Amino acid sequence: MLLLAQAAEAGAGNTSEIVLFWVFAVLALGSGIAVITMRNIVHGALMLVLNFLAIAGLYLTLESAFLSIIQVLVYAGAIMVLFLFVIMLLGVDNDDLLSSEPTTRVLAVAGGALLAGALVFAFVGPYTSPASVCEADAPTATGDEVACTGLAAAYGEDDPSGVAFLGRSMFTRYTYAFELSALLLTVATIGAVILARRRDLAPEDEDEAGVLADARSAVEAEALTVAGSTVAEPARGTAQPVGEPGRHHAEAGDRAPEGDEPPAEPDGPGTDEREG
Amino acid sequence: MAIGYYLVVSALLFSIGLVGVLLRRNAIVLFMCIELMLNSVNLTLAAAARLWGGPDGQVFVFFVIVVAAAEVVVGLALIVNLYFRRGTLDVDVPQLLRW
Repeated sequence: MLLLAQAAEAGAGNTSEIVLFWVFAVLALGSGIAVITMRNIVHGALMLVLNFLAIAGLYLTLESAFLSIIQVLVYAGAIMVLFLFVIMLLGVDNDDLLSSEPTTRVLAVAGGALLAGALVFAFVGPYTSPASVCEADAPTATGDEVACTGLAAAYGEDDPSGVAFLGRSMFTRYTYAFELSALLLTVATIGAVILARRRDLAPEDEDEAGVLADARSAVEAEALTVAGSTVAEPARGTAQPVGEPGRHHAEAGDRAPEGDEPPAEPDGPGTDEREG
Repeated sequence: MAIGYYLVVSALLFSIGLVGVLLRRNAIVLFMCIELMLNSVNLTLAAAARLWGGPDGQVFVFFVIVVAAAEVVVGLALIVNLYFRRGTLDVDVPQLLRW
């Protein structure tokens, strides 16, 4: 890592930048292809981590050290851990994940190739000329070529990493956007909490149902041993909790065995709410 | 290194992400492909910041990363909710996105 930082600091347009660019570019493209072709989702997520790290390396060669650190911390650290967390939580099976119809696959690849061709056709030429190399002795741009300004002059002598340069802009010109992003993160946190909560059966209801089911099974066992309906009726009445109506008691007892996994059935409570 | 090579790499990454979104059926993999596309756009912005020698591109990348973090949190909560309701993550299952 230190070697990479030194190589990125060493200046633009030199041999080390070219070598690092090709290494990280091939790594990024290869891991990107691996993300969409891996059948195992966990392997795909790990390939995505590799892709993020390669892009962090590309940021280093682009003289954007702060973005490189942020990329590693936020993307490869936080976001991918969240992804892996969800994958492990859901325990997703890894069979038959490609799109089913062959025409869909052919059209998808053709569309992607078309988009890539159009973008590359737009970039190659004006942006890949020798004038676009970010170094001091680059030739001046002619025609539709675009000259690269580079960030070394903007950073200045006392700020080689560019953090102060970035911070000055972020807290003066983009203060409003910065405050809004704080609001956005708060809203996202609240939204995630609300979305992740399971509304179909509250925990106290579950406990109550379990207790009632136990009570009812005990009552039924007792009734079976006595083997008389006239004796079983008063016994059920005594086993009821105080203040509980008998109808609710019976319902909770009936519902209790399937109370552990209500969302598995396709016609969940949400469907009923929409139609009702 | 001419700045156009960075743009070409990011264009290829974007196309790879697009093909993944069109090709795969698992909702989590779709989400990962969207992250791939988001990162390629970030790379374009960082390259543009270096091309023009200004701070704006890098500030944009910073904000895109913030928004992506919020988006991942909400999106994964939605995916978990969908999985618990439907029992599948296959987006080709009819009515997956209907309530």
